Amino acid sequence: MKKLFALLLAALMVVGLLACGATPNETTAAADNPPADNEQAAASDEPIKIGLTTVLTGDRALEGQYASNAAAIVQEEINAAGGVLGRPLEIVIEDALGTDVGAVNAYRKLAADDDIVAIITPDSSNDGMAQAPSALEFKIPTTAQGSSPTLRDMCNNENKYLFQLRACDETLCAALIQYAVEELGLESFAILHDTETSSADQAGLFTKALANYGIEPKVVVPFTTGTKDFSSQIAQVQNSGAEAIIGACFQTEAAILITQIRAMGLDVPILGSNAFADPVTIQLAGDATDDVYCASAWVPNTPVPKGKAFSEKYEQTYGEECGKAAAQIYDHVSIICEAIEIAGSTDREAVRDAMNTISDYEGAITTYDCRTNGDCGRGGLLVRVKNQQAEIIDAITSEKVIE
Amino acid sequence: MNSQLLFSGISMGIIYGLIAMGMVLIFRSVGIMNFAQGEFLMLGGYFCYTFNQLLNLHIIPSLILASLAMGFVGVLFMRTSYWPLRNAQAKAIIVSAMGASIAFKEGARLIWGSIPVNMDRVIEGTVKIGAASIQWQYIAIILASLVIMVLVYVLLEKTFIGNIMQATAQDQYMASLTGIPVVFSIGLTFALSAMITGIGGGLLAPIFFLNNVMGATAGSKAFAAIVIGGFGSVPGAIIGGLIVGLVESFGGAYISSTYQLVLIYVVLIAILMLRPQGIFGDKIQEKA
Repeated sequence: MKKLFALLLAALMVVGLLACGATPNETTAAADNPPADNEQAAASDEPIKIGLTTVLTGDRALEGQYASNAAAIVQEEINAAGGVLGRPLEIVIEDALGTDVGAVNAYRKLAADDDIVAIITPDSSNDGMAQAPSALEFKIPTTAQGSSPTLRDMCNNENKYLFQLRACDETLCAALIQYAVEELGLESFAILHDTETSSADQAGLFTKALANYGIEPKVVVPFTTGTKDFSSQIAQVQNSGAEAIIGACFQTEAAILITQIRAMGLDVPILGSNAFADPVTIQLAGDATDDVYCASAWVPNTPVPKGKAFSEKYEQTYGEECGKAAAQIYDHVSIICEAIEIAGSTDREAVRDAMNTISDYEGAITTYDCRTNGDCGRGGLLVRVKNQQAEIIDAITSEKVIE
Repeated sequence: MNSQLLFSGISMGIIYGLIAMGMVLIFRSVGIMNFAQGEFLMLGGYFCYTFNQLLNLHIIPSLILASLAMGFVGVLFMRTSYWPLRNAQAKAIIVSAMGASIAFKEGARLIWGSIPVNMDRVIEGTVKIGAASIQWQYIAIILASLVIMVLVYVLLEKTFIGNIMQATAQDQYMASLTGIPVVFSIGLTFALSAMITGIGGGLLAPIFFLNNVMGATAGSKAFAAIVIGGFGSVPGAIIGGLIVGLVESFGGAYISSTYQLVLIYVVLIAILMLRPQGIFGDKIQEKA
């Protein structure tokens, strides 16, 4: 009797497994066959889905707050204008947890949904690089928010599904150093950076840019994410006698660092990565941010018309200044929708091909050119903080790497 | 440079000592290490921010009100995370505290948002002491912490309520036989612990800014302070905190700024090798 029961159970399991295994084939088959008229009518009401992986919880949840807010605005705007291909747009958000493992899990969960047309990576280049192999595996167009040159090289060479919609850090860091040396006349620098991958990369790019002028940093002082008291790091910088400090880290650390540098009596120019002129940094550090220089992709008082309108709408809606992570999502969603319209389809392969036809697309942050490869974002801004306002000194344009 | 590092090390050490002292009070009371103590620091900061920035109160009354609010949080934490599991294995209570820590962090994010915030300082500006530039707020933190430590000592050693708390900490069963309300006593200990740490959060927030993960690193350093000072010892927690602060400050400048936390744990291991019970460990063993 027991044997019979076991055999029955085994047979049931085999049937169950076969049924599960058949599901993808059935989906593919359905996709291959032209849908019936009533199915087409139903499809026109079904939303077109774009996946967004961002950090909703944990240390970097600030990014997720900006991203979610921006996603709500852009979704509402696009749907009010008639949607995409006449269908409503739906942005599906998954929590990337602020870790590369979390980012990959979030990505794979979204990619497994056949209705998701394209996916947006989190703000950190590290997360984007971790997700890149999955983009290739699932063959799904993926727009990367990160600005690392490694990510750019991935877009250009090994991963045709990956698009970097941001001016590369290599250009931004070089432009800031050029300004510091040629315009401000600074000759000696100390670098303080977070050991987190993106910031460590930026520190390397600053060092490389200084090397072009034959300058070696007096001292390079790393610190771990979450450091609160920078006394020992700043003391080393003070001892080095550097004329200026270069920083690379996220907003909270940047604000603490700037405040403590000034509190310890170091009245030298501070140059930094994106975060150093971010609205959050300026709001936290207040007066201490005066004479902070930064090469940034975005400032809330951007001169770009589309960006200006979005920035004002964001501030009106949420009562706070619009950060870079919000503006990025606005542009990423808009460009993906543009590609879907060009493709005239939600087929992932067709949308990927359509992405490569986008040229001179004016977004909120900059102009995008995705022809020939996935290195799309062109522009940045050279910024100086004065009276707690980010003033634009000059525009930066990165050359498109064509291979 | 050295005087700067010394001041910074002492200031941070006192803060770690304050958090550690809160953890030790709970450990003495129920024999469990509270891994949500760092979140008491963060919540204290947010309550203070609410009174100071959202309700526009002066920073001193804001700190006092935040401390009282944290007393309530401490009791709530005890009733929800400890009391239902009091007869379970210790690891169940530890996991419960870890769960509460996540709930506090994400709850704070939902209530106050993800954008870090700032608030008023007790005293603005900096003061030059020798070659060192010290923010007045650091000095305020040191003075406030010393006052809190003295008050806690007087409460525990010189008052009737303190005797009740100590008796419950030593033997809950015997305490209940003598008519001591054990639930009240344990609740009071949790409240006191949350109040002490919460006031630290309110004092620290203007320097390090406030977000929902503010307490995470500080909590782990306070734990190291307790191990160094000796489990269950209040003076040990303070001395341990100072050692951690100074190792972090001088080690970061002279050995490695990347591996400050590693240096703390190297010192911790070295002290444990020489004195496994921690610096003030003997007294605890005698009490036990």
